[in-house]
Amino acid sequence: MTMLNVRDLGVAFGGVQPLSGVSFAVERGETLGIVGESGSGKSLTAMSVMGLLPLSGGRITSGSVEFDGQDLTKLSEKAYRNLRGGRIGLITQNPMTSLDPLQKIGPQVDAVAVLHLAMTPAQARVRTIDILGTLRIPDPALICDRYPHQMSGGMKQRIVIAMALAADPDLLIADEPTTALDVTVQAQIIRLLDDLVKERELALILITHDMSVVAQTCDKVLVMYAGRAVEHGSVGAIFDAPQHPYTQALIGCIPRGLSAGEQLTCISGTVPSVMNYPKGCPFHPRCTRAHDICAVTPPEFAISAAGAVACHFPGDAP
Amino acid sequence: MTMSDNPRRSLAARSFHAFGRMNVSRAFRSVVGKIAGGFIILLVLIAVFAPWIAPFDFAAQNLANNNAPPAWPHLLGTDEFGRDVLSRVIYGARTSLSVSATAIALSVSVGMTLGAAAGYFGGMFERAVMTVVDLTWSFPDILIALIFVAILGPGLTSTMFAIAIAYLAQFTRLTRAQIVRLKRETFIEATINLGAKPSHILLRHLMPNAIAPVIVVGMLAIGDGIVLEATLGFFGLGAQPPTPSWGAMMSSGTAQLFLSPWVIIFPGIVVAVTVIAVNLFGDELIRALDIRDRLREA
Amino acid sequence: MTNLLEVRDLSKRFTSGSGPFRKARSMYAVNGVSLDLPKGRAVGVVGESGCGKSTLARLILRLIEPSAGEVRFEGADLLKKSAAQMRALRADMQMVFQDPYSAIDPRYTVARAIIEPFVIQNREPAGRMQDEVADLLNMVGLTPGLADSFPHQLSGGQKQRVGIARALALRPSLLVLDEPTASLDVSVQAQIISLLAQLRDDLDLTYLFISHDLSLVKYFCDEILVMYLGRVVEALPDTSTPARHPYTRTLMDSTFEPDPKLRRAIVPLKGEVPSPFDLPPGCAFADRCPQASALCRAQVPELVNYSGHAVACHNPI
Repeated sequence: MTMLNVRDLGVAFGGVQPLSGVSFAVERGETLGIVGESGSGKSLTAMSVMGLLPLSGGRITSGSVEFDGQDLTKLSEKAYRNLRGGRIGLITQNPMTSLDPLQKIGPQVDAVAVLHLAMTPAQARVRTIDILGTLRIPDPALICDRYPHQMSGGMKQRIVIAMALAADPDLLIADEPTTALDVTVQAQIIRLLDDLVKERELALILITHDMSVVAQTCDKVLVMYAGRAVEHGSVGAIFDAPQHPYTQALIGCIPRGLSAGEQLTCISGTVPSVMNYPKGCPFHPRCTRAHDICAVTPPEFAISAAGAVACHFPGDAP
Repeated sequence: MTMSDNPRRSLAARSFHAFGRMNVSRAFRSVVGKIAGGFIILLVLIAVFAPWIAPFDFAAQNLANNNAPPAWPHLLGTDEFGRDVLSRVIYGARTSLSVSATAIALSVSVGMTLGAAAGYFGGMFERAVMTVVDLTWSFPDILIALIFVAILGPGLTSTMFAIAIAYLAQFTRLTRAQIVRLKRETFIEATINLGAKPSHILLRHLMPNAIAPVIVVGMLAIGDGIVLEATLGFFGLGAQPPTPSWGAMMSSGTAQLFLSPWVIIFPGIVVAVTVIAVNLFGDELIRALDIRDRLREA
Repeated sequence: MTNLLEVRDLSKRFTSGSGPFRKARSMYAVNGVSLDLPKGRAVGVVGESGCGKSTLARLILRLIEPSAGEVRFEGADLLKKSAAQMRALRADMQMVFQDPYSAIDPRYTVARAIIEPFVIQNREPAGRMQDEVADLLNMVGLTPGLADSFPHQLSGGQKQRVGIARALALRPSLLVLDEPTASLDVSVQAQIISLLAQLRDDLDLTYLFISHDLSLVKYFCDEILVMYLGRVVEALPDTSTPARHPYTRTLMDSTFEPDPKLRRAIVPLKGEVPSPFDLPPGCAFADRCPQASALCRAQVPELVNYSGHAVACHNPI
């Protein structure tokens, strides 16, 4: 069943429109990867779903965000607060700063169950130890008495995941959860998230800039560029036959260990800043296939069963 | 880990760069900046052109007309010797500003040199320098000033040295903090890697990047220096008669506080307004150059 | 093939201060590392955080003083050189740094930054300074028009190119690359890597490539050294030889393929990296190794060379 359905999302900050025309859907037990480089708007999308935009001065200007049938854009702040940390969990990028350095681990994780599941602190502590164990954290009871600075990065990220899980969410949004971590630790966390999705039938949105992570762990992929969704499809389709020139270039950029010496695809130019997104298709200045219409009209992004591309001239890589 | 072109970083970089081009004009954008900065410029002009602006000779006594209230031609009245208060205030500006500015300039030069050397070379040398400097830091500036006056005798020279030593610690610490922070930057490592000598690194990279906060604090210290000079003058330890000093004027004016209060009031107001203006402008400068965090490090 | 660089038993020990309530603790950031860098080759050094690869790079360039060991550059023993001799030698061995954002003095224009190596080393370029700057900018794929720009006006990729131009200004023979693309976007990373590959051929450079990204190192380098907690655990003679050290295996398994058909089952590595101040006796990896034996926990394995492929393991795969 569809847990989250985002249609044509548009976000503005003052006079700037950093996000437009973003559409995607996530089912239970499914992992959607949102991938793009810096400035593509992926984190902003996560913030929009969580209703955290007003914190930084932004607002949703168009589109809808449907969670389990409910339109979140129409929700009151009080109702949103119930959802946040409850049925929707968020794992942020930097575990170093996600935890309160002055509080022990135990109370921080307990707080989630106390707030959202109306448990007593004692009950919450039992639940916390249980969850920490599920996440393969050794000696959970001992860990509860430690402070964040005594833990490694990977351990901290696991604790952040525990906090996100404590209230038994239906949807989990992980914003670059492993970017700041070592490769072996990343593998552990990814494996953990995989297991969680399968065991608990979670819907997981995994935001990342790393296509390899997407290939390893996602079922569906949404590619973003300069605040727009440019391609959407199953992971197999995206990697086998990417249609959008940006997706093709992204995949071609990765140095594949197997074919050393092969020429890397380079995209000339740089990601545009949000202050001056190009008119028409935002990718056209860097696109090898751009025609006149690309500089004038932004392409449509319509989701169908097969997938979606926002391109005037989609097609297989030349 | 990917890093986007963080807008906050660009802003800091832009202000940073701005000071490199001495873009002080930014501080004049706000109303406060305009008024405070304008006053300071006015004061400097008055001090420079004193001989042409002052209506009377500051030392010209006229006992027949002493303690006269403000009236034409003595717009601010006369003191107990019949000297024109306005002219003495104008010349007093010269004294205060020149003594304070010279002293602070001296203090900044020595402080920056010591601080940079301490920060760059570290080790026992750094510890030794900072211990000595911190000793001066722990004495109230007036006490230091008095010690100097006791050694060198009263007068402008000892006032100047007193002010210089009193604030030396500030500049040494600030510079050292900047240097220690900058030392860790990648571009310093890169320059060492190119085979640069310590002198090249200090003079071409470390000092130019460390100078901004020091200049601003120096500016604020001139305000403090003016007060210190006035304080010493008040006790008769600063500028000796007949050289006019705002502090000395206030001191001699106390005897006539109820008879001719203008002798104290006008120099007092000028001191107060000058210090306020210097502090307000200094604040605007800090804001314009976005270096508040660097000042906290000292 | 002659060796441009020969490193023998290089070590660096750091002591954390002792106080009235605390004994001094020491650790080896780099512990007995030896390597040969043949002229014209690209050798990669891979490892995770804390393995000592960045420290190794700085020890080789003598930006940090080694505690023990030998570094021979073009036959000359670097550690016996005086400060003045080292400064002159530096022109021949340069480094490209990880963080392009702070690698250039923010007050310097691009032109001034690129000319600085000449100023420091007291050398004159072949032609006019202006032409030299333009040539160097062209060489790294930047338009000469950027010469008067300041670092904050450039993108991350452009800044990194300036860093490369600066490093190459005096035509060094050795270029050490310390995670040169770690701070950059994927698409920019590809540009920089392509540039570096091209420059290697054009200028006959020898590279020491430090990275945590195994797939990048496999793509770019001829040989690979794997480090763990200050020691070299494996030295692969080429990029296709299968790994024999359990840690290298894990590292390779943790590096995902950009192809969903090549998904692998992740076997999570148990435990955490031990603190370098508190290393267990024996092999540092023993606690986490799936095939650790009693010998592994008791004795540190030596780096043994199996016809070009060296492994430091009692039970190599």
